[in-house]
Amino acid sequence: MSAFLSVQDLEKRFGTQRAVDGVSLDIRQGEFFALLGASGSGKTTLLRMLAGFEAPSSGRVLLDGQDITALAPNRRPVNLMFQSYALFPHMTVAKNIAYGLEMERLARGEIAARVDEMLAKVQLAHLAGRKPDQLSGGQRQRVALARALVKRPKLLLLDEPLGALDKKLRSEMQLELKRIQHEFGITFIVVTHDQEEALVMADRIAILKDGSLLQCGTPREVYEQPLNRFAAEFIGVMNFIPLIRNGDSLTTMTGAPISTVAPVPNDVQLVAAVRPERLEIGPLRLDTSASESARPDNRLTGTITALAYHGLDLQLHIATDAAPIIARLTADQAESRDLGPGKTVTLSWKAADTKLFPA
Amino acid sequence: MQDRKSLFLMTPALAWLTAFMVVPCLLILTLAFFRRGVYGGIEYTFTLENLRLVIDPLYAWIFLKSAWIAGLAALIASVIGYAAAFAIAALPRRNQPLVLFFAILPFWSNYLVRTYAWIVLLNREGLIVGLARGLGYEGELPAMLYTETAVVIGLVYNYLPFVILACYAPLSRLNPEIAEASSDLGASGWTTFRRVILPMSFTGLATGFVFVFVLSIGNFVTPALLGGGQFQMVGNLVYAQFLTANDWPFGAAISMVLIAVMMLFLTLQTFVAERGSGGGLR
Repeated sequence: MSAFLSVQDLEKRFGTQRAVDGVSLDIRQGEFFALLGASGSGKTTLLRMLAGFEAPSSGRVLLDGQDITALAPNRRPVNLMFQSYALFPHMTVAKNIAYGLEMERLARGEIAARVDEMLAKVQLAHLAGRKPDQLSGGQRQRVALARALVKRPKLLLLDEPLGALDKKLRSEMQLELKRIQHEFGITFIVVTHDQEEALVMADRIAILKDGSLLQCGTPREVYEQPLNRFAAEFIGVMNFIPLIRNGDSLTTMTGAPISTVAPVPNDVQLVAAVRPERLEIGPLRLDTSASESARPDNRLTGTITALAYHGLDLQLHIATDAAPIIARLTADQAESRDLGPGKTVTLSWKAADTKLFPA
Repeated sequence: MQDRKSLFLMTPALAWLTAFMVVPCLLILTLAFFRRGVYGGIEYTFTLENLRLVIDPLYAWIFLKSAWIAGLAALIASVIGYAAAFAIAALPRRNQPLVLFFAILPFWSNYLVRTYAWIVLLNREGLIVGLARGLGYEGELPAMLYTETAVVIGLVYNYLPFVILACYAPLSRLNPEIAEASSDLGASGWTTFRRVILPMSFTGLATGFVFVFVLSIGNFVTPALLGGGQFQMVGNLVYAQFLTANDWPFGAAISMVLIAVMMLFLTLQTFVAERGSGGGLR
């Protein structure tokens, strides 16, 4: 099966700088796809090339089997929802939504019917006669979405769609966007710098850095199986422990052995990586005579430096002699074990939860 | 409290304008209702004769002619000025102030000097004729100086910076993503201009147009110098009544009508500006 949207070796140079450096992606029809990266990662340039606002320096874009690389923005079956929403301030909400249909020279009656239908779907019918400056941020966002969706594009691009909203509204809209995408069955590509947003909304995530694609996969894949140190760091919280290689064995800088089931890369400098929720926190135990089988694979001791309360769970900042570590546990667990700053604790985790990356 | 503070801050300006503009103007305008003395001067008996005379075909024609020339100048200046402002606003942002400065530069030189410069350009042995001859054109050349065209050229030239400034303001604040959104929704470049960019910058265009019109219709220097006395505009008429014919009451009556026309246009422009300030500019 061939991909619905195929981005082939796309490159964009501005002078000597490569904003997008040979990105290839295959996106399926009806997929909710996220382009995730920090500012300057090239994600917005990539999106603008898909919309037609930037001409690629090289590479091709195929949509539904058609080469759209050289097509002008107004001739692509692709719509973009702008970060600023870019609503027409001199037109009412209804006129804003009708604009794209008027460009298709549809009959008046059909335009009116489709605008009404769309207004109802995004729950804006009561605001049809308002101008954009009489709307709240969330309402404007929905108008922008409606204006793009009413064209029934093959592909909808969204540039930081929730960036201008406050935190509470943002998490509501994350689910709302997913609902709408499901209802319309349109392929969505969202650009975001917010990894949490990408994890919640997307079917698949592409992580971009310096114009290159670092990893592409489902949220679970990129979270559980990061391909490199940057991806591991960018998605969620990750602890990194610098390692020393002694022949086949690996130890921390202070000599504590680290075991892993991951293949050991050939690089000289390595780090071990482990997620905070994979760590077991226990009291400092002086007797090391416990039977070999009961011993955890990896163990460090450290002193709690800070507790950060996040409602249901708790982040424990622990200073060890190998590296500063963040552990996560539920508030109940923390309370029952009487954990607090200054306490010395043991951290342990399984070899299977230990990843290795070149430092 | 806030109102009192602003009233306090506005007092000097209001006092200045009242004492030195409103009062003298009202004094002059009241003259319109008195009779002219036999040997000039004013005879203080009430009459509406002066105002009636303004709508006499002879003078009404001068009004219409002035409005036509001012309107033409305003139209041409608006088109050229809008295009220039559009081009300036499309430049990289850091270059804009300099280009704008050059566009406005002539404005800082003397009005008379600039108008005389056009005489040098337009006269029979002037630069334009010289250039045409130099390029080998031997045929007849139409007279350029002392024509209506010369007056319109002079007015357009002098007031163009107003239009550029008035149009540049909204155009430079236009969020470029709005034009992109129009294109993204399927509009051609021309449709985007007509349906999005022009409506969003229309207040600037209207302001520029009205400014040029109002300044032109009362202008008497340019018609005198570039029109060469071939025809009169309202400004010249007022000038003549006060300084040559010594008929202050009639001069005052013409001024009154002229001010009324200007006020009408300025009010219209304010109305357009109020309506157009619907946001969307950065």
